[in-house]
Amino acid sequence: MANEKILIIDDDDDLVHAMRLPLEAVGYEVSTAANGGEGLRLIKEVNPDLIILDVMMETMTEGFQVSLALRSPDPRSEFQAYSRIPIVMLTSIHSTTPLRFGPDKNYLPVDAFIEKPIEPAELLKKVRECLSRRPA
Amino acid sequence: MSPHRLAGADLIEQELVASMARFIKIRWLAGLGVLAATGFVSAVLKLPLPAPSLFLIGLAILSYNAACYLILKKLLRSEPRSIVRFHRLTKIQIGLDWLAMTALTHFSGGVESPALFYFFFHIILSAIFLSPAATFFYAATATLLVGATVWLEFAGWLPHFSLFAGGAVPLLYQRPYFVAGVMLFFVSAMFVSAYLASTINGRMRKREREIVGLGENLKRAYDRLQTLYDSAQAITSTLELDQVLNQIVRRISDAMNIRACSIRLLDETGTRLTVAAVHGLSEAYIKKGDLLLAQNPLAREVLAGRVIAIGDVESDTRLQYPAEALAEGIRSMLSAPLRGKEGPLGLIRAYSAEPDRFTEADATFLAAMAGEGSIAIENAMAYRALGRLDEMKSRFVLTVTHELRSPVGVIRSLLRTLTAGYAGALTPGQRDMLERVLHRADFLQALIDDLLDLAAVKNAIGLNEEERVAVRLDEVVRQVVERFETTARERRITLEHRLPAGAAPTISATIEGVDRILNNLVSNAVKYTPDGGRVTVSLGVEGGAARLEVSDTGIGIPEESLKHLYEEFYRAPNAKAQVREGTGLGLAISRDLVARFGGQIAVRSEVGRGTMVVLTFPLAVVPAA
Repeated sequence: MANEKILIIDDDDDLVHAMRLPLEAVGYEVSTAANGGEGLRLIKEVNPDLIILDVMMETMTEGFQVSLALRSPDPRSEFQAYSRIPIVMLTSIHSTTPLRFGPDKNYLPVDAFIEKPIEPAELLKKVRECLSRRPA
Repeated sequence: MSPHRLAGADLIEQELVASMARFIKIRWLAGLGVLAATGFVSAVLKLPLPAPSLFLIGLAILSYNAACYLILKKLLRSEPRSIVRFHRLTKIQIGLDWLAMTALTHFSGGVESPALFYFFFHIILSAIFLSPAATFFYAATATLLVGATVWLEFAGWLPHFSLFAGGAVPLLYQRPYFVAGVMLFFVSAMFVSAYLASTINGRMRKREREIVGLGENLKRAYDRLQTLYDSAQAITSTLELDQVLNQIVRRISDAMNIRACSIRLLDETGTRLTVAAVHGLSEAYIKKGDLLLAQNPLAREVLAGRVIAIGDVESDTRLQYPAEALAEGIRSMLSAPLRGKEGPLGLIRAYSAEPDRFTEADATFLAAMAGEGSIAIENAMAYRALGRLDEMKSRFVLTVTHELRSPVGVIRSLLRTLTAGYAGALTPGQRDMLERVLHRADFLQALIDDLLDLAAVKNAIGLNEEERVAVRLDEVVRQVVERFETTARERRITLEHRLPAGAAPTISATIEGVDRILNNLVSNAVKYTPDGGRVTVSLGVEGGAARLEVSDTGIGIPEESLKHLYEEFYRAPNAKAQVREGTGLGLAISRDLVARFGGQIAVRSEVGRGTMVVLTFPLAVVPAA
């Protein structure tokens, strides 16, 4: 099969590196973006099969904005064509984090969450699951 | 009329009332004396006096004295006492005495009578108890009565009863020079007595009034000292600045009996005085604005240490807001400085609706209150600053810990990728070393998370009233116990939980918070219980509170360690020996969380036997849906 393309949008090189190695080791083609804007540009360019998205980059909610832009219900959205790409969101939740995740408080149009620190086996499992659930 | 004079008069009136009984007692003796003397003079001395008339006079004295006695008793019983009635009774008595004595004089020899001398002590008594005018009036009446009697006898229109009938010097009463001489001496003696007694008494009354006035001043001074002392006690009994300030203004208003009192404190820039506490002023007046030192020479002078009175707001030009003060109904003000060790803190101001209300004594009092207040305010400010510093410290810890969390997470991510072999195959030696590094990084992460939790509790993040829900404790118990089941099974520890038969207790808290508390306790219990032991979590309701108990058959806590249990980073020596790594923050976090939810935590333990931790929480008012 053709190698599936994964786009990692995260401002932390080291974390990107920690994810890139296992993903590439199992044969995914990985491209990376260091911020939300670059990420959205690359989505159009690369048309990835899956996006790994960090919540907090330069701003606290940059990741949210990317996912909301992608999954916009507006039919005229420029990302209409990409709205079905699965999104795995990287989170680092703690009781002191001023963000809460839940369907009633902040609806987040993502497919899975991965807690930092990244456990490679866990990452690969989540990615595989999301890709296999893709509509044909 | 000043209050002093009233009080002074009161004292003399009291003496009058008290003396009245004594006069009546003396008059009994006088009446009886007349009877006895008449008996003696006519029976023993056999002087030619009209004994029946003299007896009648004695009886008359006794009978009107009896009437006076009864009236006095009645007056003494009546409430409220009217001093006017006592005065009237006194005047009636003197009047009757005058008549009796005039009669006595007539029947005992007229101008030759020794009874004439008795007029003098009446004059002295009336000088003491009645006004000088009344005294002179009585002196004049006595003169007229006696003069008339003597004249009538002299003229032969009234019979004369001579003491010296048949003696060597007959008919003295008919010798003009003798009569005129006696009368001259009598009248002059009467008026001189009246004058001297009234003058001396007048001066004594004045002194008395002064003494009463001084006594009252002393009492007021004492009251103020007492207020000062009480206030000092009250205002230093708390360290909350707002409470301190409010106490001061309220107590000053009460003690000085004035319209209002306010405290203004210097702001950080030291250029304006802003209202910090107020008693008795309208919202509109308070909101009129700050006192700007640059435009307010009066405030500057007060801050420099002077107590300044504004006698009349209407005419004083030193005020920044005179119109507002007049609209508020304020006519006079008194301002005293609040001064701390480092310099001026602000000022206290007393307000009155009367012009020129404040005296020197008020100024001294307000300055003393300001002195006491300054100490209390400074203490409260220092306390508040400490609180802010503590808050800043917690915030700093929170920020630093947050910053630490991200790189540690990345380190662990990289290490896991490395140990999983994605960066190339590792030799067994490299793998072992990396596992050790990873282990330490994991501990570092746990430490950071605990510190964040602690900072979160200290800053009450996510724990406020609005973030709380009704938490069903049975659900939390099940969830936490389930989390430790695998570990317990591996170590052959019996981990069980007991839930109440009826409805599970519900408390007002956050699910994450209660989970964290119980997680810490069960984690400790499992960690410090030897293999094959037992850990029990029981939930119940006791005395209107939810009771959560975690007991184990673990290593126990030494007695000397119990008191350090909730100290941050503290770990008991036997715990360290058993498990090398531990943050020593779990119980500190749990204790703070329990307190945030209004609960209590108690630990009982015996080394080698086990530990029991009991938590109690107030039940939620509204049960979980």
